[in-house]
Amino acid sequence: MASSSSANVVPLQSLKPDLHERAWASIPHPSLPLIATAHGKNVTVFSLSTLSFHSALADGHARSVRSVAWKPGLPPHELCLVTGSFDSSAGVWRWAKGGDGDDDGGDDLGQDMTRSAADGDSARAGGDWDFNLVLEGHDSEIKGCAFSPSGTYLATCSRDKSIWIWEDIASAESEDDWETIAVLNEHEGDVKAVAWCPDVPGRNSVGRRYYSVDVLASASYDNTARIWREDSDGEWVCVAVLEGHQGTVWGVEWEPRPKEDAFPRLMTFSADGTIRVWTLQQEEDSAVADGSAMPQGLGGIPSTMRRSFKEEWKCTAVLPKVHDKDVYSASWSAASGLVASTGSDGAIALYKEDSDGVTEPQAGSEDNDPNDAPGSTHDDQTAGGPQWRLLTTVPNAHGPYEINHITWCKRYDAGSTRRGEEEMLVTTGDDGVVQSWQVDIASP
Amino acid sequence: MAAAALDNANPTILSASQLPTRQKRSAPRNGPDCRYSDLIFAKPSYLSRPFLQDDDIRYQDDTAAAVPWSRLGAGSGAADEDRLSAEPIDEQEIYDLISNITDPEHPVSLGQLSVVNLPDIHITPSPALGVPSPNTIVHVTVELTPTVTHCSLATVLGLGVRVRLEQVLPPNYRVEVICKENSHSQDDQVNKQLSDKERVAAALENDSLRSVLDKMLESCIEN
Repeated sequence: MASSSSANVVPLQSLKPDLHERAWASIPHPSLPLIATAHGKNVTVFSLSTLSFHSALADGHARSVRSVAWKPGLPPHELCLVTGSFDSSAGVWRWAKGGDGDDDGGDDLGQDMTRSAADGDSARAGGDWDFNLVLEGHDSEIKGCAFSPSGTYLATCSRDKSIWIWEDIASAESEDDWETIAVLNEHEGDVKAVAWCPDVPGRNSVGRRYYSVDVLASASYDNTARIWREDSDGEWVCVAVLEGHQGTVWGVEWEPRPKEDAFPRLMTFSADGTIRVWTLQQEEDSAVADGSAMPQGLGGIPSTMRRSFKEEWKCTAVLPKVHDKDVYSASWSAASGLVASTGSDGAIALYKEDSDGVTEPQAGSEDNDPNDAPGSTHDDQTAGGPQWRLLTTVPNAHGPYEINHITWCKRYDAGSTRRGEEEMLVTTGDDGVVQSWQVDIASP
Repeated sequence: MAAAALDNANPTILSASQLPTRQKRSAPRNGPDCRYSDLIFAKPSYLSRPFLQDDDIRYQDDTAAAVPWSRLGAGSGAADEDRLSAEPIDEQEIYDLISNITDPEHPVSLGQLSVVNLPDIHITPSPALGVPSPNTIVHVTVELTPTVTHCSLATVLGLGVRVRLEQVLPPNYRVEVICKENSHSQDDQVNKQLSDKERVAAALENDSLRSVLDKMLESCIEN
């Protein structure tokens, strides 16, 4: 019954040049063939067409850049990148095209921008990065930053235990005028990462009566993940605390393409070596409100409405354990549904969720509390949930070095037969290498 | 740092002759830093051959340049193997690397203060099994005994030990520094901080902390 597909993860080539210092993360552009890598106090942008240097963002921060985020939804000739730094500030960078490019057509500009500098007629003719604005407010290192799917909001998180939500209120895209619209203070330790729920149909299926459309998730040193939404008064509130991990939660990753328009699930990965999948319990009547777990500041809400303000999230799967210590990163493919993870052991692991006949009958019974299932002893182990299988592992993917980040991204290099469609993995390590990997899935 | 009130004004101090050493010292060397520089600065072998596609003519120059670095890889010469297999890194060696660290409050070393002790250093897989391959992850655990149970400097001591070892050990060594059980009133909190790579990285960019650490580690480099 279960499909017995096997998988092969084959190294392609590293992006050139090597960075020769610890690199924290490489974030692909949402639509263009570019990927931005945070390393040292700088960011290097690589072209995914040539797998080589495109441009650099330098001299913006006094300390390491830990995270980067591309602003989504811009026309193809505009680029905006946000950097989150250990110097407690976030930087807003915009791509300024070269002086002679003003009368080019829009299509040409789009081309210029994604071309590697070495590829152009003359290096740097395409333009350069301007450090437009510093976002200040956090008391200590910024660890993560992320744009909401529409690009309306930016979330930053810090060792100061807070999450800040920013909105660009400038009238024109190129004029940066950012305003803080919320400061979320409920985590009891460093907030390691933030991620916004993707704009998929299922996002609108729950909670729209009380909340606006955007949903933010955060991961923390306090071993929890939290879910945040904006209520009808414009207040951002914590609607769920996801407890179960036995160590720092390094990050959160939303399900990019849920089946049957379900609300996206959330994946969390931790220093305890595990990866968990959490599912929002969607049945209206089953959730019994627990007043004590209400988010703070809702004292004035009539008690009959209260239960709606808390969402019930259950851990519905724990992925097969591979990493013996910290899982620093995991990525969930929109195209294939596969999950890839990596961590301090320097290994890559690839997992697949069984979605064949075995789990189908349970789709109808998902509303049952899985904790009631006979034989279930752990509150986080589910007897009936979808099961994940380990497809393959790659030990020592960066030799002896730790790997800090892994992401799926589209292939645009000449080696791919389906450019812009085929997916590859990109890993980023302590050795300063950004490595691409081909993933071959053989189905019987 | 060593201002008004010392956390432990009158610690027990061992003399140098009481500290654990090898029976017979190996040949003198300039310092532990030099010894592993080949390993530390070596370009890992996996960066060369297998990642290059046949059609990637452009990178062939890189390949050529990478050859001299591949000494530790699968095809490394027998001479290198011999040199490496001569002496695996053992507990005494780890001890020697960190026992000279100077306490931030007292002008004496962590070895003399018995903050680091030879029996509290653990290596897996055991060095008795020989020299691990360059890709084998080796876990080094150092249990610290802070001089007093409430010692507020436990985190700084631990950071010094972790930084020292990470500077000199090959990249396949993973360093874990923890407070010996019941030796410190906030064990878990200190241990969690010291094992958090991101926090450690950020701490090293903090100028005042960095200068304290540099002072602690000075005595190791001079030796």
